[in-house]
Amino acid sequence: MTDANFTDKDIPNPRSLTKTERRTKRRKAAEKRFRAYGLTAILAGLTFLVILVYSIILNGLPAFQRTVVSIEFTLSAEQFKEAEAALLKTRVYSNYFITSFTDTVNGLGLSSEISSDSIDRIVGKIGGTLRKFYRNNQDKVGQPITFDLPASSLVERYFKETFSRESISESNRFIRAEDLDLVDALADAGIIRQEFNWLFITGVDTGVDNPGGAGIGAAVLGSFMMMTVVLILSLPVGVAASIYLEEFAPKNWFTDFIEINISNLAAVPSIVFGILGLAVFIQFMHFPQSAPLVGGMVLTLMTLPTIIISTRASLKAVPPSIRDAALAVGASKMQAVFHHVLPLAMPGILTGTIIGLAQALGETAPLLLIGMVGFVARYPETILGGFEGPNSALPAQIFNWASRSDAVFVEKAWGGIIILLIFLLSMNIVAVLLRRRFERRW
Amino acid sequence: MYDLPHARSDVINSDCKISARNVQLYYGDNHAIKDVTANIADKTVTAFIGPSGCGKSTFLRCINRMNDTIDNARMEGTILLDGEDIYDSKVDPVQLRARVGMVFQKPNPFPKSIYDNVAYGPKIHGMVRNRSELDELVERALRRGAIWDELKDRLDEPGTGLSGGQQQRLCIARAIATEPEVLLMDEPCSALDPIATAQIEELIDELRQNYSVVIVTHSMQQAARVSQKTAFFHLGNLVEYADTGQIFTNPQDPRTESYITGRIG
Repeated sequence: MTDANFTDKDIPNPRSLTKTERRTKRRKAAEKRFRAYGLTAILAGLTFLVILVYSIILNGLPAFQRTVVSIEFTLSAEQFKEAEAALLKTRVYSNYFITSFTDTVNGLGLSSEISSDSIDRIVGKIGGTLRKFYRNNQDKVGQPITFDLPASSLVERYFKETFSRESISESNRFIRAEDLDLVDALADAGIIRQEFNWLFITGVDTGVDNPGGAGIGAAVLGSFMMMTVVLILSLPVGVAASIYLEEFAPKNWFTDFIEINISNLAAVPSIVFGILGLAVFIQFMHFPQSAPLVGGMVLTLMTLPTIIISTRASLKAVPPSIRDAALAVGASKMQAVFHHVLPLAMPGILTGTIIGLAQALGETAPLLLIGMVGFVARYPETILGGFEGPNSALPAQIFNWASRSDAVFVEKAWGGIIILLIFLLSMNIVAVLLRRRFERRW
Repeated sequence: MYDLPHARSDVINSDCKISARNVQLYYGDNHAIKDVTANIADKTVTAFIGPSGCGKSTFLRCINRMNDTIDNARMEGTILLDGEDIYDSKVDPVQLRARVGMVFQKPNPFPKSIYDNVAYGPKIHGMVRNRSELDELVERALRRGAIWDELKDRLDEPGTGLSGGQQQRLCIARAIATEPEVLLMDEPCSALDPIATAQIEELIDELRQNYSVVIVTHSMQQAARVSQKTAFFHLGNLVEYADTGQIFTNPQDPRTESYITGRIG
């Protein structure tokens, strides 16, 4: 063979680099297909995420806004005395209020026919609220006070446009068309207005008669207390268990058995932990029902496997050369672990812990079983008492609201979901920040 | 001198730092070291050579009981350091490792500052009483590690940010900071370029003044350059152990000859 054969341009080179082979073509097509599948999957996921976030925000944001009727009212000393002496005290307060309210409305040049029923339908039963206020603040008697009263459920929904004038029937006991005329006029006069609903964040659960006043504050506090219990119990126990298993325990059938059990526990449905908590903590050990302490203990059982698994994984990820280095300069096993291995594993441990906590924060099923889903309409009086007194938790409160009939409560449930998501998101951000902070190269 | 039930008087002399007697080591069922008996002299560089998997690193790790950390490793026989059995039940491996330092194949500085890397050993052994003593000790160790001039202005920087050769010298400085009597080096230059290797070899030669140095190496040239004694391991056996010159010029065992001439290994 001579060189001329290779340079001859008339003979096509069967293995030219510029000509694509059939195999190459097939391989390329397969790669392209795979990329398309991946992209489709991601787009589908993103679409669902957008829909989810959009619907949560759409449904939940109105919960952060409330409609208030703000009215200036003065109660004279004689009126106070008279009302307190009467048999139906709240009725008397209510009458005073209606008189004053009618004057205000007339002063604005509006309709003069305002019945007490109409007032009831717009702001709910006012007498009790007034009486409670003046009995607690007797020095305010005789002074003009501006009351910001939450509007009734239907008025609230009327402003949020989830309830329309057309849907009022003659037999509707809760609202009449003429009430809405008055409401419109009051809104124009600035007496009925929309404001940011702080009460939703700081308040407590209310009964069906006052859905507008319901807040999630107590539930947030309950969740916070539970998370405190979970953190205090599960972090030291979980980390200690993992360090022992990973670094000190002999490898034999018993530790293998423990390892398999921990992996299995991580997959046990949370309701099983709820039943366990009910049987062991409440029925056998007689801890109080509905208490954040017990809730936290149940959630600890649930979180422990997560923490142990992630801690062991991050301990395993520390290169053995670091252990060797520490041992070779004469560190004891424990010094090697605590001075060198643990600091390197810290980001992983913290991330695992926070993810475990976030999981526990959103857990509802075990709480239902230990009774943390009750109606809790007040904050605990003392901090320590709060741990063993009945309280609610965020997801349980959301569950509770979602199952009530009044649409305003359902809206609050959506709002509660937003609060829960904000907590979860900020916990995840803390996890990321901690990981950044502690991350070191080796 | 000592109450030595295992020691034989003939192996204790001023020259002998470490004396291994009939050492057997098993990893599970795998017999990794077969009946090795050797004396390692003080203030001498001893090189262990042999093909991969011949047990030279394993034997090195027996000398400071690093094999203790391996679960299924089982050791028989005796190793005496200055006439004391290091595998005696009363011996704490932590104390042993303070006297027998080790440098590993891959440089493994702690992910801490250069200063803390060197200061860690002296700190945990309570060798210093205050900061200024520690400063002195760190400087002395880094000087002996032949790296002080390069690093004296960067002591706060992480040790992991140095070049490979600097990291390895830092690890040597860290090992000698605890003032050991024996320094074990497990292929200390295998991850380094020729210049860094030359620096380390020079350092090893200086360290010989104060320490008994045992070095495992794959490079026969390195063994010839740095060591006075050479031991050839093959398949877990100590085949031949003699003066370096003799091993390389006049090996007694045919296996040694085959290895150093490149026919096996």
